[in-house]
Amino acid sequence: MKRIISILLAVMLTLGMVMSASASVYEGGRVRIVIGSTSVSGDSYMVAETVNQYLQKYLNCNSKVDAVGANEALSTIATAKNDGLTLMIFHDMTYLGVLFETYDEMYALENMVVGPRVGQNPGSCFAAKADTPYADMKEMADYLRDNPDATARVAVEAGGVSHIGFVAYYMWVKDTYGEDVSKRVKIVLGGSTDEKLQLLWDGNCDVIFADYSSLLQYTQEGVDAQLAVKFVGMLDHIPGIDGLPVLGDLGVTLGGEPFYFSKDFLMYLPKDTAPEVIAELDAAMAQVAADPDFQAKMSELTYAPNVLDSAAANEFIYGKRDGIATLIQTAPSFDELMDQ
Amino acid sequence: MDVLLNFGLAVLGVVVGIIFGAIPGMTATMAVAVFLPLTYAFDLVPALFLLLGLYVGGISGGLIPAILINIPGTPSSVCTGFDGHPMARRGEGERALKIGITSSLIGGLMSLLVLALLTPPLARLAIKFSAVEKFLIILFAMTVIAALSKGSMTKGVFAGFLGVLLALIGEFTNNNKMRMVPDMFKMQLRGGFELLPVLIGLFAIAQMFQEAEKGMKSTNLNEGVDVSNAVKFSLKDFKGQGVNLVRSGLLGTLMGILPGVGGSAASLIAYSQAKSWSKHPEKLGTGAIEGLVASETSNNGLTGGALVPLLSLGIPGDSTTAVLIGAFMLQGIQVGPLFIQQNPATWNWILLALLLCNILMFVLMFFPIKHIAKIVNIKSCRLYPVIVLMCIVGAYAIRSGNMFDVWSLLIFGILAYVFGKIGLPTAPFLIGFILGGDLEKYFMSAMNGNDYNLLCFFQRPIALVIWVLIIGFLGYAIWDNSKGKRMEKAGMKD
Repeated sequence: MKRIISILLAVMLTLGMVMSASASVYEGGRVRIVIGSTSVSGDSYMVAETVNQYLQKYLNCNSKVDAVGANEALSTIATAKNDGLTLMIFHDMTYLGVLFETYDEMYALENMVVGPRVGQNPGSCFAAKADTPYADMKEMADYLRDNPDATARVAVEAGGVSHIGFVAYYMWVKDTYGEDVSKRVKIVLGGSTDEKLQLLWDGNCDVIFADYSSLLQYTQEGVDAQLAVKFVGMLDHIPGIDGLPVLGDLGVTLGGEPFYFSKDFLMYLPKDTAPEVIAELDAAMAQVAADPDFQAKMSELTYAPNVLDSAAANEFIYGKRDGIATLIQTAPSFDELMDQ
Repeated sequence: MDVLLNFGLAVLGVVVGIIFGAIPGMTATMAVAVFLPLTYAFDLVPALFLLLGLYVGGISGGLIPAILINIPGTPSSVCTGFDGHPMARRGEGERALKIGITSSLIGGLMSLLVLALLTPPLARLAIKFSAVEKFLIILFAMTVIAALSKGSMTKGVFAGFLGVLLALIGEFTNNNKMRMVPDMFKMQLRGGFELLPVLIGLFAIAQMFQEAEKGMKSTNLNEGVDVSNAVKFSLKDFKGQGVNLVRSGLLGTLMGILPGVGGSAASLIAYSQAKSWSKHPEKLGTGAIEGLVASETSNNGLTGGALVPLLSLGIPGDSTTAVLIGAFMLQGIQVGPLFIQQNPATWNWILLALLLCNILMFVLMFFPIKHIAKIVNIKSCRLYPVIVLMCIVGAYAIRSGNMFDVWSLLIFGILAYVFGKIGLPTAPFLIGFILGGDLEKYFMSAMNGNDYNLLCFFQRPIALVIWVLIIGFLGYAIWDNSKGKRMEKAGMKD
């Protein structure tokens, strides 16, 4: 009898070990997804919440998006347990903050684990009032060349994606049209999209940097002339939407190559998170990416459901960071641009 | 069935909103943000009933702790406690609460009327308010410091500027450089001190220290007060308040219409105007109905006002409506200049939901409030530990579990306690702190947009009108202050 019980216990123990070894980290667990924005209407929240709705279905977990802001999100990932139950979904500001020296090296990509890419927002853009005498940013440079007294005031934020978009354009104008033209492309410090729009409507700037989806409504017919805007420079192509001026197509280059920039939203996890956890996220994101509802929802929000597994995302984001680092090193600082 | 669902969600929203508003440290914005993902499961209309209920309830709930225990539940109810709490201390807590609730309803309905009838023209007006005008409006709101510092103007102004100085701690967004922050607190203080721990610390924690010093044996009532003899609420309380109600409601609505000018500025301006137009300005701050009516009418007036730029320009009027945009976006609807034209049915539902939520807020608060008002009868030694616990939970929850905010709560509690000992007023300090960030933001924005030319503040017609108001009000406050001092001296001689 004792022998039978011992064998049964041994079998149960072995089965238990096998089952726990193959058990999911996420199955039935509570997952906190922090994002680097406090806004619940911007692209960070919209992408994270959309991904979350599908991810929890495939991971079979209870997950929640927490809009805590860049500071809190980076701190959370730097200090959270590496059990995979706390993760961050954020765009390029993850590494830009360190490149612009806003955040310490301890928040660099090297001190976290890069998970899968969950989507892209190709909609970053420059827009001007509808009655502006130029149709795009190349024509704007031509206009400045032909009108030596004219200036173009561009509202951007320091140390963000808009800063990158601006310096890429600025450096191209400087190289192509000379300093006489580039120094008349001036920076006006803008805040949120709402604040930049008010600067534009109020005549306190000529061009603003924002997101395609947030400005689309102001480009439609029937909008009051005072509020109407037009897109003058997209940073990338939006799938399914043609006829917009894209900087790379207009001839704007970065390092000799046409300049295209999409915001890439990736998952980031605490340092030393186990590869099995990442593998589980990769598998779930592959299922999410294949879900036609997810693809439709992302497209409806004008985001691209271009998912990459963690290995590919890792290589991609490090490469992107290094390219941007070169641009930042060669471009004038924000203070210098403000003072010119 | 849909009607029942909408009604049920509105009730749920209002009740939860009131609870959020009433707990120090929790706000209407938080309530809407917490419930936002749930709206994924609904269509837009039921989602709006829930979210607008949370919004109206959250803004209104703040008056309960402000009146009963002198702790503003939300920043926009800071002025409510100035007169509401002295009323509660003399045994008129229920009356003060009912006056506050009725004023909130009137403010809410006035702003709803403005929203329904005047949205397009008001949106066009809002655009004319650039950073220059917004800076001047914030400056105008700061003049309330002068009104609150009667008899000790120098100390009040000093405390106000100290508040502004502390509000500037953190990252300077023009160049992302840190300001007045020791290296070891670089991450915690990047965005400066959070407003709510500061607010709760200044009011609640400091009060706990002061009461602890006295022994906490008594209740929150003044000594010798017999509650049974206290004056009861009656609609006659609003006799002579017509102009105050209309002025404060419209001021709240106007402040709501201007994006970036928050509910606290609305309540401060309405309060200072009530004081300057009052026949007995000296009574404001001692339990006068006028002050209470002004504060509560204006902060609820904000609700409809803040929806004007949201639904007609696509720009939120305050922090809560900024979260509401998320609900529209999750449903794939863009709010902007064509929203009303393209979505007339949704627009009508919004108006109906706002009307229902205001009425529900009134019904759900007015009738049960007499039981809540009995809090003032509880001995301080039993009440205050619960309040301290709630304050700590509230502070900890503000940034989803940040211990630094709990320390901020304690630091500012100690600071206000020290202020009390050396005779510095806390309210002007808090007002400086609340408005300091916006003051700098709009100043820098105006300078950036006008080539750093200070003359921009004197060249626009609306700006000149606001200057006249500022100078007029400051002149009155200085005259009133010196008159008060003369009367005090004459009294001492007698």
